[in-house]
Amino acid sequence: MPASPLQPFFRQRGWKSFPFQKETWAAYAAGKSGLLHAPTGLGKTLAVWGGPIIEHLSLSKSKIQNQQSAIVNPPPCSVLWLTPLRALAQDTLRALREPLELLAPDLQVEARTGDTSSAMRARLRKKLPFGLVTTPESLSLMLTHADTRDQLAGLQAVIVDEWHELLGTKRGVQTELCIARLRAWLPDLKIWGLSATLGNLDEARDVLLGDRSPGAVTVSADLKKDIRIETLIPKEIDRFPWSGHLGTRLAPQVVREIEKANTTLLFTNTRSQTEIWHQELLALRPDWKDVLALHHGSLDRAEREKVENGLRDGSLRCVVCTSSLDLGVDFSPVDQVIQVGSPKGIARLLQRAGRSGHQPGKTSRVLGVPTHAMELVEFAAVRDAAHSRHIESRRPLLKPLDVLVQHLVTCAIGESFEPAEMRREIQSTHAFRDLSDDEWDWCLAFISTGGKALAAYPRYQKARLENGRFTVDDKRLIQQHRLSIGTISSDPHVSVRFASGRTLGTVEEGFISRLKPGSLLVFAGRKLELVRFHQKVATVRVATRDAKGHVAIWGGSKMPLSSELAHAMAARLRGEGKAAPEMKAVAPILAIQRRWSELPDDRILLVEHTLSREGEHLFVYPMAGRLVHEGLGALMAYRLRLKEDVTVTQNDYGFCLTARRGLHISEEIIRLNLSLGNLLKDLVACLNTAELARRQFREVARVAGLVLQQLPGRQQRGQRELQSSSRLLFEVLERYDAGNLLLLQSQREILEKQLEFSRLRDSLIDLQQRPIHLIETERLTPMAFPLWADRLSATLPAGDAASRLEQMLEELNRASTL
Amino acid sequence: MNISILNQTLALFPDKSVLLPDGTLIVADLHLGKATAFQAKGLAIPEGDSDADLKRLGTICEQVGATRILINGDLFHSPAGHTPEIERLLETWLFTIPVPVQLIIGNHDAKLRRLPAALHPIPFTEAAGFHIVHDPADAPPGRPAICAHWHPVARIADGKRTSLRLPCFLLRDSILVAPSFGTFTGGAIIDRQKGDRVFVAPGDRVIEVPEELLRR
Repeated sequence: MPASPLQPFFRQRGWKSFPFQKETWAAYAAGKSGLLHAPTGLGKTLAVWGGPIIEHLSLSKSKIQNQQSAIVNPPPCSVLWLTPLRALAQDTLRALREPLELLAPDLQVEARTGDTSSAMRARLRKKLPFGLVTTPESLSLMLTHADTRDQLAGLQAVIVDEWHELLGTKRGVQTELCIARLRAWLPDLKIWGLSATLGNLDEARDVLLGDRSPGAVTVSADLKKDIRIETLIPKEIDRFPWSGHLGTRLAPQVVREIEKANTTLLFTNTRSQTEIWHQELLALRPDWKDVLALHHGSLDRAEREKVENGLRDGSLRCVVCTSSLDLGVDFSPVDQVIQVGSPKGIARLLQRAGRSGHQPGKTSRVLGVPTHAMELVEFAAVRDAAHSRHIESRRPLLKPLDVLVQHLVTCAIGESFEPAEMRREIQSTHAFRDLSDDEWDWCLAFISTGGKALAAYPRYQKARLENGRFTVDDKRLIQQHRLSIGTISSDPHVSVRFASGRTLGTVEEGFISRLKPGSLLVFAGRKLELVRFHQKVATVRVATRDAKGHVAIWGGSKMPLSSELAHAMAARLRGEGKAAPEMKAVAPILAIQRRWSELPDDRILLVEHTLSREGEHLFVYPMAGRLVHEGLGALMAYRLRLKEDVTVTQNDYGFCLTARRGLHISEEIIRLNLSLGNLLKDLVACLNTAELARRQFREVARVAGLVLQQLPGRQQRGQRELQSSSRLLFEVLERYDAGNLLLLQSQREILEKQLEFSRLRDSLIDLQQRPIHLIETERLTPMAFPLWADRLSATLPAGDAASRLEQMLEELNRASTL
Repeated sequence: MNISILNQTLALFPDKSVLLPDGTLIVADLHLGKATAFQAKGLAIPEGDSDADLKRLGTICEQVGATRILINGDLFHSPAGHTPEIERLLETWLFTIPVPVQLIIGNHDAKLRRLPAALHPIPFTEAAGFHIVHDPADAPPGRPAICAHWHPVARIADGKRTSLRLPCFLLRDSILVAPSFGTFTGGAIIDRQKGDRVFVAPGDRVIEVPEELLRR
């Protein structure tokens, strides 16, 4: 029985091993790789960690029997544990060390991440422990050292924690490539991924394991974690807003719910919202000053750690937070999770719900707080979908060449490589399995001579070709590359500090530059007064005046409603599903919608046409998420070729075109304008894709090593400089090296990121089949009102610089003559 | 577009050049060899901009019928980019230009050990009533001057849509600061002061930007 060596630990804790744990141990013992899927808080760490421990224990036992000295020589590094967040490394270390104390006290586990001290790092350079907890970036960095291969010669397994977080990102691709390298060195290496629930678990496994996926296993913890999803029902539905995103109207009710629980995590969807809700709750309960905290990604690390510790020891009553607390960390005292605003996705709500009752057997509870009427339907739908287990998929990235060229340089620094052999290794990954000859040749040329279109750049050389092998040996280039490993790029930001030097966190430059010294702002849960803003530092002091300040805002797009949730929502609107309190509450509003028009559905296409004082409005409801609607709206406005300006607004349910006249159109015209022909060409034409791609190129150029950062011994180049020079690079490349594949990649990335292009195309295909219900409405319906109200902040599809400027000048002239 | 500074007139062209009444064509900040300097640092930037920039300058010279060309500083980017290839490129180009060419020494040029004698490098000069010097800080106050060095860029926005970022001519007091001519040169958004006038060329003509459209 393979589980037996772990028995003492389970006995000590009074636990019983779950079947999925035994299954994983057995698969591991059989030398298999795989993916383990289990909700958080069910002992999945032990399931994958047990395999290597058992392996070690039986190995040392047989060595003792053979009278070999197993104890004298410390075991070699056997397990690499990859974690997506370095903030999780310490918690992971603790969890991994626990069973070792009893079972194998001679085994060491250490962490090596960007946070590791240089002394520890030096020690790890000499000798690696049995288990090493690290991040994809740190693993890449290890690959640049020539002795890594020897140090990892005894490696048995790579375990990738929270794989669902990495999947679909460039860091995920970086992980795939690093694993391919290790697999090339050690063909018997076992690879295990841990994942939360996903709609595409099999694909997730294929991506992690690459060409080793056939024959691997997927283990699912069949234990159903009990999750209760409830919604705070507004008392007066007829006064409840039809649009909006704050939801603070329900704050008094939320306070009462917080009072009922011991410790509450209150999730909002944006950082600004955390600041607003924190202020709102404090205003209602000033006595909670010391037990109410907030947590988001722009706060200083020390501030965040303080809050996390408060959560661990149970000294906080409530923490208002964003996705910054979605992951990993075990906050046992948390017994209630509140979600303000729709989570927009089922997986996200389940992840957040799992933050409470973080132990096997406990129920996870989540309470939804709607910010407008339709979110009541969304909460009912998210519960339906969670129960029927219709969870979103995460689509893997394919062929991001910027990540590949970075990885190739990384490999060439570590040890020289032979191109054909390396290509086989690269193509063993899922992301690059379809790499073409052209793409491969281009990448090799990019890292050696500079580019394929041009014969060579005279002064450029990164990797040299020597005896048929690529190598990098310029010390300065190696140093430069090590500093720029990674795929995360951040926006320009300004540090917020007190005069004493204490840092509170960061805000965006655009926000702070609009404030004058003396202005009040709300940040990090405090009311502050701006003293001065100078060279990327905003000095503040605690505000003495009592007035409403500007709440710090950050850019970044809101998550669109997922397809799965949209379908669940449409089903609810059709009246399917068990009776739900949310649906009962929202019924009066849906009744108005039905009386004046129809309810939107994903089996038909509802279109409303309304005349108002300003002109005509066309409301179209494909129910496909905000980003898709943005693309569809722009596309339709473009294809209609109206002489006058059309304003486009969109939300998760539909989009609206507003124009002085000319929108009086028939079913046939709508059909024609939503056709698939010339889709890409039309989108590129109407959405100023060139400008967007130029912005996206910043990230691509950084990953590919086209722009430097953090030159050693020099002041770090500001992000703004990076931006302008990557913009410049884009223009130069466009002009002189138009075949550069990185340009194409940034265009592709921007289409996916900004518009969810694949989803947009899928919706168009779907819309072809749906009957169109075109309804003339006499006034704005509940569905139409929010779209209409947004028109003032709408953006027009932008043309080229000259015509945009001309438009601005014209508008200005018009305004001045009024 | 013609403008006058303290009664001295000059013409601004959309291709980032200035023409004086005496036929002097002024451009600045070509930063030749910048791509090469980047390549030497291990960054794969395509070659080709230096050649193209010089050709462009030749074409403008012909179109406006200039009688001489003044390069108002920073013809070269750095010693690392000052290669024999660039030197040859310049020589060949000078051969095709029918008018005299002179270089005002900019801060980047000053780092080079040796500047081509054919360019008759000087620290500053006078032409058609204008003082011409690379760095605005070196311009004599209260006199019409033409400078460069700042690579001025204007950010234009009406507060509703995405803003534009365009290279611009900046007229501050009696000093005109010209945008950089080189393709591969960055720009700095101007720190606007009271009384500044800003000219941009989003299309094929130069226009003045109303103050209300300028953003920090």
